[in-house]
Amino acid sequence: MIDVHVFKKLFAPDGTMELDVKLVIDRHSFVTLFGASGAGKTTLLKILAGIVQPDKGQISVNDSKWYDSQRKFSLPPQKRKVGFVFQDYALFPNMTVFQNLEYASFNKKRSKSKIDELIDLMELGGLKDKKPGILSGGQKQRVALARALVESPDILLLDEPLSALDYSMRLKLQEYLLKVHKNYQLTTVLVSHDPGEIIKLSDHIYELKEGKIIRQGKPSEIFGMGQTSAKFSFTGEILHISQEDVLYIVTILIGNDVVKIVADQCEVDQWQPGDKVLVASKAFNPIIRKL
Amino acid sequence: MNKFQGHISEINTRGNFSVITVTVNNKIKLKSIVIDTPESATYISSDRIVNVVFKETEVILSTDKLPAISLLNRIPGTISEIEAGELLSRVVLCTDIGPVISVISTLAVYELDLTVGCDIMAMIKLNEIILSK
Amino acid sequence: MMDWSPLILTFQLAFITTVILFFISIPLAYWLTHSRFRIKPAIEASISMPLVLPPTVLGFYFLLAFSPGNAFGQWLDEWLGIRLVFTFPGLVIASVIYSLPFMVQPIRSGLSGLSPSMIEASYIMGKSKWTTLLKIELPNIKTSLLTGMVLTFAHTIGEFGVVLMIGGNIPNKTKVASIAIYDEVEALNYDTANQYSLILFVLTFAILLLVYIVNGSNFKYFGYD
Repeated sequence: MIDVHVFKKLFAPDGTMELDVKLVIDRHSFVTLFGASGAGKTTLLKILAGIVQPDKGQISVNDSKWYDSQRKFSLPPQKRKVGFVFQDYALFPNMTVFQNLEYASFNKKRSKSKIDELIDLMELGGLKDKKPGILSGGQKQRVALARALVESPDILLLDEPLSALDYSMRLKLQEYLLKVHKNYQLTTVLVSHDPGEIIKLSDHIYELKEGKIIRQGKPSEIFGMGQTSAKFSFTGEILHISQEDVLYIVTILIGNDVVKIVADQCEVDQWQPGDKVLVASKAFNPIIRKL
Repeated sequence: MNKFQGHISEINTRGNFSVITVTVNNKIKLKSIVIDTPESATYISSDRIVNVVFKETEVILSTDKLPAISLLNRIPGTISEIEAGELLSRVVLCTDIGPVISVISTLAVYELDLTVGCDIMAMIKLNEIILSK
Repeated sequence: MMDWSPLILTFQLAFITTVILFFISIPLAYWLTHSRFRIKPAIEASISMPLVLPPTVLGFYFLLAFSPGNAFGQWLDEWLGIRLVFTFPGLVIASVIYSLPFMVQPIRSGLSGLSPSMIEASYIMGKSKWTTLLKIELPNIKTSLLTGMVLTFAHTIGEFGVVLMIGGNIPNKTKVASIAIYDEVEALNYDTANQYSLILFVLTFAILLLVYIVNGSNFKYFGYD
């Protein structure tokens, strides 16, 4: 269990902002920090990792103290068992994929089998001896994810890891994230502002605004239509909107399938291609046919 | 999407099904069947404020004041606007709970002789109403 | 017959200065990149002084400071038995200070150009600052390191004012090529002056050419940003 209560004065472009958050994260859960950019999500993640110091407060992880301002104690980042995946991947350009993973280990010999396992899991076998410079964004992020897991961290911290990738690559990487979260029984904290991604991955969401937690709850409670009685619901991305007669037809990509849904004029005005949407219907309408 | 806020005035649960009655504007009662119970979904509780949501294409219109029909969700009103397309028409009703939009076939508009100002009854099937927080 | 000793002395001086500066500049540049110390601007300004100050000004102050007639020079002479005025070690020290910005600035701009998340990632992986510097930061600023070394080497070869002031003109000890050329011209030995000049010209051109070829467009002439 992670128990965090920290306070830090931040210098934002439009004046100062006070980060003041208190949250409890259950072991083995997948938690998302959600909110507009500049809300303090990344700072909070870096405070957890120990690379940013809060002004005051305390952090304890599984009953061991990581930070306590009253006792003037802060466990250095080197001693915190966390894995961190950065938005810009932060791979070491001077090392090959394998060497990147090897660098993350404390004992090269002991970690050999773990590194091989991660390379397998992330399907990086063919890229092992390549330098990061020639990899695609999705490949780089797989390497970064594998690297963060070499020393079996207590907490995996993900700072908008998929935001630089295109939609189909994001879907694929989300699968990898779920896989490692379950396989290695991690406690994962994700920073994201993609509702589709958050709904798919996380158990619990904290919404931050100007340094404070303004809402928290299950993804289904926070997003879309709030908690809805609709049992037939999916998240997707609007591909296309066209007017037909007095109605509009909205083409939406859900997973790998493209669906078409009818919408009214006053709704369509608020949408544009690329928007993430929740598609919902009652359980009474769809028909089922065996293939 | 028609969306109105109301409060839950009645809950009737059998097994995993519940029929929820939502009173909108203290005037109109709308019923919805859901695969949820007060135990499975926290939003199902008496007097809780919820939204009722239903699609324009699911709104049925009748010129009869008291049609003998199985639809129990009824909202009386008058037609304030008709936008006729070749196949479909968009009919905007003025009702006690605010504007309700219905999309019906243009043929039906002619058959029923619908014009702006007509008194009309809008109806929605029990299973077409979605509840949301 | 041309005397080779000024050329040999020049390259010795340039080589030693480059090696010493390489090891001094890495920690200095690292400190300048990472520290938010209050007196940092003053230190930055002092390091950059040789860029704008006439070399003779520096030479003059070195001469004053190192001269045995002065407190510091006297102390060096009496306690350590070192005399820096008109000696090769004095020349090295003066060169090190004079060429300092040419080594520090490229390394510093290289270090501050590195992605901070890369360094943070290394710390999170349990690696110390020292290991991170050695294994991550330095290997990723190779072009900056090379730029610093080449600029320092070339700049030391081209030194004149400082060398003349502090080193004088003692054959085999402090008479470097640039001074030898001046000397020969004064003595109207244009042929010898030309030989020295041509050798310096060709050699420095070759060094720079080689670096440009090796580094391609990565070679930053002077990472002054």
